[in-house]
Amino acid sequence: MTSTRIAADAIVPSPSLLARGIGLFSGTVGLAIKLLLLGALNALAIWAVGVLLADEKWVAAVAVGAVTFLIDAAYLIPSRRLIPLKFLIPGSVFLVAFVVIPIISNANIAFTNWSTGHNLQKDEAIQQIEEVSLVQPADGTTYTSTPATADGELVLLLVDDVAGDLYVGSRDGLESLAPESATVEAGVITAAEGYEVVRSADLSAIDQELNALVIPTGDDRFVRSEGLSVAVELQPTLSYDEESDTFTSIETGTVFSDNGEGSYVAPGGEALEPGWRTRVGFENFKTVLTDPLVRDPFIRVFMWTFAYAALSVFIQFVIGLFLAITLNKPGLKLRRAMRSMLVLPFAIPAFLAVLVWAGLLNDEFGVVNNALNTSIPWLFDPTWARVSCILVNVWIGFPYWFLVCTAALQAVPEELTEAARVDGGGGIQVFRKVTLPLLLVVTAPLLIASFAFNFNLFNNIYFLTGGGPYGVDQPIAGSTDILISYTYKLAFQAAGGGQYALAATVSIFIFFIVAGISAISFWRTKALETVR
Amino acid sequence: MLRIRRVRILGGLAVAALVAAVGVSAATSATNQASKVVIWADADRTPAVTQVANAWAQDKGVTVQVVQKDFGNIRSQMTTVAAETAPDIIVGAHDWIGELSTNGSVVPLTIAAATRKDFPAYALNAFSYGVAVKRLYGIPVALENIALITNTKLAKVPKSWADLEKQALAVKKKKKAQVGLAVQQGAGGDAYHMYPMFSGLGGYIFGANKAGNLDASDIGVANKKFLKNTKLIDQWNKEGLIRSQVAWDTARDLFTKGKVAYYITGPWFVSDIKKAGIKYKISAFPSIVPGFKPTPFLGVQGFMVTKFAATHGVESLAKDLVASYMARPASQLALAAANGRFPASVAAGKQVKDPDLKAFGAASQGGVPMPNIPAMNSVWQDLGAAWVRSTKGAGSIPARRSFIGAKKSIAQKIG
Repeated sequence: MTSTRIAADAIVPSPSLLARGIGLFSGTVGLAIKLLLLGALNALAIWAVGVLLADEKWVAAVAVGAVTFLIDAAYLIPSRRLIPLKFLIPGSVFLVAFVVIPIISNANIAFTNWSTGHNLQKDEAIQQIEEVSLVQPADGTTYTSTPATADGELVLLLVDDVAGDLYVGSRDGLESLAPESATVEAGVITAAEGYEVVRSADLSAIDQELNALVIPTGDDRFVRSEGLSVAVELQPTLSYDEESDTFTSIETGTVFSDNGEGSYVAPGGEALEPGWRTRVGFENFKTVLTDPLVRDPFIRVFMWTFAYAALSVFIQFVIGLFLAITLNKPGLKLRRAMRSMLVLPFAIPAFLAVLVWAGLLNDEFGVVNNALNTSIPWLFDPTWARVSCILVNVWIGFPYWFLVCTAALQAVPEELTEAARVDGGGGIQVFRKVTLPLLLVVTAPLLIASFAFNFNLFNNIYFLTGGGPYGVDQPIAGSTDILISYTYKLAFQAAGGGQYALAATVSIFIFFIVAGISAISFWRTKALETVR
Repeated sequence: MLRIRRVRILGGLAVAALVAAVGVSAATSATNQASKVVIWADADRTPAVTQVANAWAQDKGVTVQVVQKDFGNIRSQMTTVAAETAPDIIVGAHDWIGELSTNGSVVPLTIAAATRKDFPAYALNAFSYGVAVKRLYGIPVALENIALITNTKLAKVPKSWADLEKQALAVKKKKKAQVGLAVQQGAGGDAYHMYPMFSGLGGYIFGANKAGNLDASDIGVANKKFLKNTKLIDQWNKEGLIRSQVAWDTARDLFTKGKVAYYITGPWFVSDIKKAGIKYKISAFPSIVPGFKPTPFLGVQGFMVTKFAATHGVESLAKDLVASYMARPASQLALAAANGRFPASVAAGKQVKDPDLKAFGAASQGGVPMPNIPAMNSVWQDLGAAWVRSTKGAGSIPARRSFIGAKKSIAQKIG
């Protein structure tokens, strides 16, 4: 009895201190702290609502307002029935913010065509298409310009870069400027009669006005300023018709119309760039299931991912358990030192360890082959590369299982193992029939969680092999790519890169795979609990 | 009880209102600032960009904020950045242009004729992109490429590739080194560093269409002329001239420790070579087979104006800074020197005194800029992997088969 008491004291800080700490949050001081924290929260919320309203994000603004109101109510109205809410509301907020919203937005992306070339909204795309269709006509002029005002209206004082003629450009068009009425210094008009040159320091204020100033020069040509001191004559090569929602090539008359998939396309198949983001229904899901480029590697990669995660966790667990049992023997010399040593790999940042391992495993220059006097192609042969991936992963992960098993072993009552021994059980038999089942009750959920974690462990693969080596017929996924690194490559390499929507779709598949495997495993391990 | 409750609620609301008032006033005062131009730059260039941009900003009545970013992140974050925190100007490489333009992330620029004349045509071309109409999307600032570096104590600058091979293998034997020529690959491959050999054997990546634009349907990774020469790759593999196991750090160490006579790298490792006290000479790549000049990929780095500049109401300002001010020779010299590269401006280039930079410039002659069309994303991995598969010593696949496989993969991915 006393011994357990002392042990508890060693782990939990002095109860009186804890009680005093909690006590701080009741009484007058507590009330003041509470009000201050609530006030800060409210201030944050009011500011956030203001920003959201300014951005016309009505739903988000209402949600923030409502949640803040609920929190205020739960903490300010003294009612016993509201006490659970004090914990429930913040918990739910975090659940929604960090779990539900990412899942919804991910699923949302999966139904769009978001990818390189389909990144803008439609109106932005139309604007961009018009902008990039502008050309400088072969006989077009470039000018050195000076922004100025005449009767409050913004104009450009222009010097033809080639001929040196002077002009005034306004919304109505170009007008010659008499050379004697203007002062030209080093090719730039610095003053002109009747015009007030915009001072350098005021240029930032007229930026938008300057950008909007289009000086027509006939035949749908126009002069526009490019920056603050350059103006150029430009001419569109496409014209947009709002009514029919089509672009027409001015030169050839080709009509580009909305193809419903986020692009303006000519009858010949030629598409205008850029396209825009739009909903495409189940298109991406269809691609994953039917496009051989995506589907074939998917199955191969899935098998390897499963093997990789399962083997990694299994070997980590076995090694961890073995070491935990070995070092669990009371009276072993240097037990503490050895335990600390074993936890070391756990203390090194995993990705750093992987990078070091990548160097160690180099087959001609690496330490491992030099030390073993072998020439194993650790990273350059598909099978060996897979072995290396599991090996490194085991090295990183076994200390975790060592710690877990060490802790779990303390939970196996000595009375039970002693009783089993008295009944005549041998060491191995006792372990198999008593210790292991009890251990598994505790560790099974962790094993499943660890499997799910390893299933999506991007860093270890990415930094060790980069998914390679690549066989001759492996366009996207290499021999060691797991589903998540394959998704990454799909997103950034296939069809010009930036296949965000397709990658989101694959990640939904991954979610269901991991969720399914975990659900089945949890269901199966419930049987273990009957051991108790 | 009721009173306490009322006091609590009133007190709470009072405190809340007070804090809210402070918060809101702080927020509004923050938005009432003068125009601000936000620039994303990499660590090497941040000080130089800050200096150049501030000199420009002083008489324009604006402030400039230079945000330091990891170079590669600038590209990926442009697709996902929120408008409020987005940059108005970014530094980047020319081969991002296709992707950034077709995503509508950057806006086209038009520059004065005099400015245009001060840049080599290929540098401006590298920053131009368009399906129907080609537009310029960035002002070049720095040029970079790799070259052949010879350890002059161990060997002579080679006159031909056969000469290089002979000398390299002699040094390999003498020094008991694993390779004769240090060029980085690693498990993931490195198509960029292998490109001089690739082009020297007759390989190319994309052909050009009638309009002179890159054509993603013409993939030259396994063209007939190149395939005829792939036997040479198998030979280099067999005699241990190159090895895919050599990663970037191994390659550097082999050369700086005097184990190999030749090293293919760029200006970024010259300081390491100097530090190691190696006597070296930088030169162009010697001819491998007649008819094809081995050339490096040319990289052009420069500044672009983003679509957010218009949203932030600073588009004219941003265009002025990039297309006029940064194009000046003085700015070019400062910006290129910031990370030890050759300036893009011809006038600024004439002022470069560093013999190493000049030698790298000479080695770039005849080279082509890395393709800037988005389809290039599908090429790097497969082309790198093709080299890895056929130069890994034991277990290598004949280069012919390896490159045919790569071509198939690339074609499949581009779709």
